[in-house]
Parts: sequence; C-alpha cells; structure tokens
Amino acid sequence: MSVQDIYDAVVEFDIDKVVTLVNAEVANGTDVSEILSHGLIAAMDEVGQRYSEGEFFVPEMLMAAKAMKAGLEVLKPLLSQGENEKKGTIIIGTVKGDLHDIGKNLVSMMMEGAGFEVYDLGVDVDTEKFLATAKEKNADVICMSALLTTTMPFMEVTVKAIREQGLSFKTMVGGAPVSEDFAQKIGADGWSTDAPGAVETARRLTAK
Amino acid sequence: MPKWQNPYNGLQDFASKVSLKRRIKLVQDEKGDFTVEFTKYFSQSEVERIHEASLEILENVGMLVRNEKALAIFAKNGCQVDMETMMVKFPREVVEKARKTFVPTYTFTAQDPKFDVTMPGDRPIVVTGSSAPNIIDPKTGEERRATSDDIANIAYLINELPGFDVFSISTLAEDAPEGQFSMSRFYPALKNCKKPVRSNTPNMNDLKTVLELGALIAGSEEEYRKRPFINHHYCPVVSPLTFDVESTEAVIYLLEQGLPVYGTIVPNAGMTSPLSLMGTLTLGNAEFLGLATLTQMIRPGAPMIYAVLSTVADMRTGAYAPGAIETGMMQMAHTEMARFYNVPSGGYIGLTNAHSNDAQSGYETGMNTTAALLAGADLFNMGGLLGSLMAFDFAKAVIDNEIALMLKRMKKGYEYSEENLCLDLIAKVGPGGSYMDLDHTMKNMRTIAVLPKVATREMRRRWEDQGKPDAHSRAMKEASKILSKPNKARFSEELDAKIRDHFKGLVAGDAKWSL
Repeated sequence: MSVQDIYDAVVEFDIDKVVTLVNAEVANGTDVSEILSHGLIAAMDEVGQRYSEGEFFVPEMLMAAKAMKAGLEVLKPLLSQGENEKKGTIIIGTVKGDLHDIGKNLVSMMMEGAGFEVYDLGVDVDTEKFLATAKEKNADVICMSALLTTTMPFMEVTVKAIREQGLSFKTMVGGAPVSEDFAQKIGADGWSTDAPGAVETARRLTAK
Repeated sequence: MPKWQNPYNGLQDFASKVSLKRRIKLVQDEKGDFTVEFTKYFSQSEVERIHEASLEILENVGMLVRNEKALAIFAKNGCQVDMETMMVKFPREVVEKARKTFVPTYTFTAQDPKFDVTMPGDRPIVVTGSSAPNIIDPKTGEERRATSDDIANIAYLINELPGFDVFSISTLAEDAPEGQFSMSRFYPALKNCKKPVRSNTPNMNDLKTVLELGALIAGSEEEYRKRPFINHHYCPVVSPLTFDVESTEAVIYLLEQGLPVYGTIVPNAGMTSPLSLMGTLTLGNAEFLGLATLTQMIRPGAPMIYAVLSTVADMRTGAYAPGAIETGMMQMAHTEMARFYNVPSGGYIGLTNAHSNDAQSGYETGMNTTAALLAGADLFNMGGLLGSLMAFDFAKAVIDNEIALMLKRMKKGYEYSEENLCLDLIAKVGPGGSYMDLDHTMKNMRTIAVLPKVATREMRRRWEDQGKPDAHSRAMKEASKILSKPNKARFSEELDAKIRDHFKGLVAGDAKWSL
C-alpha cells in the first residue's frame, strides 16, 4: 500500500478504492501533502495526458475527476493552512442566456482535480453575478462558457466590465464556437479547446 | 386509363399486372402523387410503445421549466407544477389533449408570395444552416468572423439558387453596431432575399425590433400580420428535459401573437441523453411532446414542425458530430414518430463536420439527407455550413444546392403512368435503333435529369486541360457568376430609405462581390 496505489486507483477511476486508500494512508501517517500532490493531483495529470493521446474517452476523464475529488474530500479537513494554499481561485459559469453546461462542468471538475478552488455559478450567469462572486471570493480567474453563438457577445460584456472597473481578474473563455481569435478580439486572457487545456491555461494565468 | 393503343396485347396485360403489383407497394402522398413508401425502422406497435414511453417520462420524470410564464401556462392547463423547484409533470391526458389539436401542415411565408412553401406538400423544404460565427473568406480561403456584408451576399446567393426554399440567416455579423446584433442580420437578409427568411433572436428586445422591421417592409403591422415573412425558430428545450428562459419567452410571445414559430429538439447522446439510439429517440420524443403541449396550450391548432438535431457525441473527445451517420438514423426515427403524430418533420439534417469541401463534406451531407428523404422527412436545414455549424462557405452552399436538387428529383420519382411506359416508342424504334432524334427525347431532355453545374461529366483529358478543377472550385465559380450580377431582388430605394430613416445607424447590408 502506497501513494502510488492511490494514483493508480484514480487513473482506474475507482472512487471507493480511492477513498479507502486515502483513509488508510492517512492512518498510516503518510504526509497529507504527499498524498495530495503525488497521489491525487499527479494522477489527474496522467489522466489528462491519456485523454490528450486518445486513450481515455471523455466519460473516463470525468469519472477519474470524480474519484480524485472523493479523495480530496477525505484530505480537506486534515490540510494545514499552508498545505491548503490553493493553486488559485476560479469562478466559472455559462454566460447569460446559455443553459448548455456539459463542457463547463467538465472544466470545473478538471480544475478542482488540479487543485484549484472552484466556485461554479452554474448556468445563465450575468456579468454582475460573475463580478460580485469574483470580488467576494477574491478570485484569480473568471471562466465563461457558451455553446450558442448568439450568447457569445456576453463574454465581451464581462471582459469589458472588468477593464472599466479597473479590476485585476483574469478571464478565460471556452465552448464549441469560441476560437482563439475570438478570445483575443474580446480581450480575454485565456482560451482552450478542451478541459485539460483549460487547466493548463489556468495554471499559466495563475502562476505567481 | 390513358389513351393507349398497341398491337402487343400481351404486353398490355403485363403492364397492367405490373401496375397493379406496384400500386400495392405505393402510397398516395399529400398531393395525390404516387410515391414510394417511406423507410421505417419500427413496427406500428413499436412506434406506439415509444409514444407511451415518452408519456411515462413526461408524467413521472417531468421537465424543468425555467421560464415563469411557461410554468403558469402549464399550471393553468392541468400539469402538476412545483413553482419552487420549477418542475412540471405532465399527466398523460394533458399531452393527449394537446395532440388533438396538432395540424398536419406548416407554411413558410416569403416576402414574395411565389416563394411561399408548405409542408408536407412542397417537401423536401431545403433550408440553409444558420447562425455560424465564421465564414470561409471567398478570396483568401481562410476562416474569419462573418459580417453583415457577408450576410447580404449569402442572402442574394440563396435567393438565386433554385434548390433552396428558405434562407435561415447563415451567420452572425461581427460588425454589428452596439444594440443592433439582430438587426445587422435580419436587415441584410431581408434586403437581399425574397424567399422566406428564418432565424432567431437572443432576447425579447431584439425580437420586437425585428418584428418592427417586418411591419415597415410590409407597409404596416396589419399588413405584416397577413403575411408574416419572418419565420422564427428557437431551441427552447435544452436537453435533458429543460425549458430555458429567453427562447421559451420568445416562443410564448410569438404564439400569443399568432406569428409563425417552431422549435428544434437537440439531444446529444452520451452527453445530454442516453448513449443509445433508442434512449435518445425516446427522450427527444418526450421533449418534442413537451414543447408541442406548451404550443397547443397557448394556441390550439398552432402549426408546428417535429424538428430535431439528435446526435451521438463522439465519446473519444466529446466532439459534437452532426455529420455522423447516426444523425441521419435519428432523423429517420424521429420522422417516423412525426408521421404517427401527423405533423411535418425534419430538422438540421445534412450537416458536416468537415472543414473544407472534401469527400467527407460530400458524403456526410449526401448520405444523411438521402436517408432522411427516404424516411419521409419534410424539412432539411442543410445548406452552406462547414465544421459542424461553425463556418459558412459559399462553395458549400452551391454544392448543397445541387444536393438539394438531387433530393427533389428523387422525391419527384417516376411519374408512373401507362403513357410513361413508352411502349409505343419502344415498339417504333425497335431493336437496334436510336432515341436521340425523337420529339419525345427533345421534349424531355431538359427536365428528366438533374443537370449539375458542380458535378463534372467531362472526360479526363478535357478536365485536365481545364486545370483539374475540383468540386469546390467549380462551385466557387458558380457562386461568383451569380454574385457578380446586380441583385434584382433587393429592396427598392424608396423602401430602403424609409427603413434607414427609421432605424438609425444600420449596417449597409448590400451584396457586393469582388473575386
């Protein structure tokens, strides 16, 4: 029994096994941050890698993220203030008028899996709500998702509002119709075609 | 019996027998023409079971209705509504009551009445794909954001291409001035295309402004209501089993106003519906019934289309796959259900995931539309888009026009009659003769076959001499030929001045082509 077993259980998306192993490892006295970074987070990097190579299908990535999250829940109360220091705080939601949230949910899951503090505002989120929550949670990045081409303009509204109010939040946009060109044009800081890419982008944007 | 004299009586007997035998397999279509029976996946009892299963979903699982007006309408008309959770459950008798007022036809009205089309009589109704953010630049071949000038060109092209019946506004307009998101689409579209124009609006304000434009073109609101030539379309149902806020609001408003509107149901197997064709059919059918019930509650007898874009996600990446063969299979099954409900059917069928006019683009559009046609679908939202609804391409629109003409030819069928057996002619020419120089041939030679402008029939050598043009370049040439001439269908100067005076700061909206 080792941290490697936890890593393997995440990659095999076995939720129950992850929880059992994490509990056992904690009881064993293994360093909590070791379990977190080498067991859970490292495994999710592997999962993202396998997905990018076409070995894992989307549902497998999703299940692995769930397994990782279950393990994280066990660790949470045990993490000291220093260890609990998050990689960054993310606000995420689909933009106003858009209820299509599958991609957003996946990104949300993967962000959590990568150790970010994620506040998922759900669907149909307007600029005011994005900004109010970002201020309240002292967020690093606001992530906006759209599937409908007709709701994409609301992304620009939020990006503009951040500029106008002189706020420092970074912005990321995603969703089927969102391209790199579009992201650049509206002045968003980041963009990605898929969930693992979104995690990478968020890491880049929050790098201190 | 047609006048028919022939010395070969034996043949006549044979012909009658063939005719009798064929007629058993033939069904009479809406216009009274004889046509082939539609392709079916299910038996009558299976169709009924799918209907029953859909009722079970609506009654036991219910739908999440995020629009408050819709909640009130459902509550008033016998649904069990929880205002807190926004959950609505549909007792089966409520749905069955709505079914009683379904109507079998749907009309797309045009600015010019000669372009009005009604389903199912005028089937297949071929429509452009809509609301792509991008366009393949006709000069550079690179993808870029689309503008209102592009919409003007596309509108003019669709007006001229005979295979298209309805112009659903193909792209967004990047150059839209503040507050004119929808006007920058509808104005260039209506200005340059006299066929029925179809599209959606993102909010009530835009919808009302667009209707104001319609009234201005018609001369008055009263005149516009007589011939409402803006054909509204929305996706108010977000799978699984959810009514949204904005689109649902627009649908309710238009139904209350007695204006034309219909919705498309868009489940995506593996993502927003079960990862099986049967499960997605049943869920999608329940969603259609949910929307149809709302529609009939608001305005009993309101025309509807059983329109879908049911797909199976590519689970390797989660990619959207509207060009997949399963999209055609789903359309076939939904069409079978629509026939059970006796409402026109169709949807976004014939889309492609391809990014250029390559073989994939052709076989995805070709196979799926053929399947849908043979299953009896009426409406084909198929034209002009590449990359899974992401970008308009002029050549793709011209190629799809040709596919549309082929589908229409296939639908027209054989024109069965004794006369058309040509027994006189066959006897007259006899063995070893030629049919080249006959009146009969002269009479039919321009109409019997689709005469393609894109598909090549040249011998290889000649094709090589022409520089080996592929379908894309031949189609682009055709688009250029049409768009280089001034648009006769454009608004009159007088009307245009009136509109530009009423709506300040409008985009130019004129078709102009320089290639």
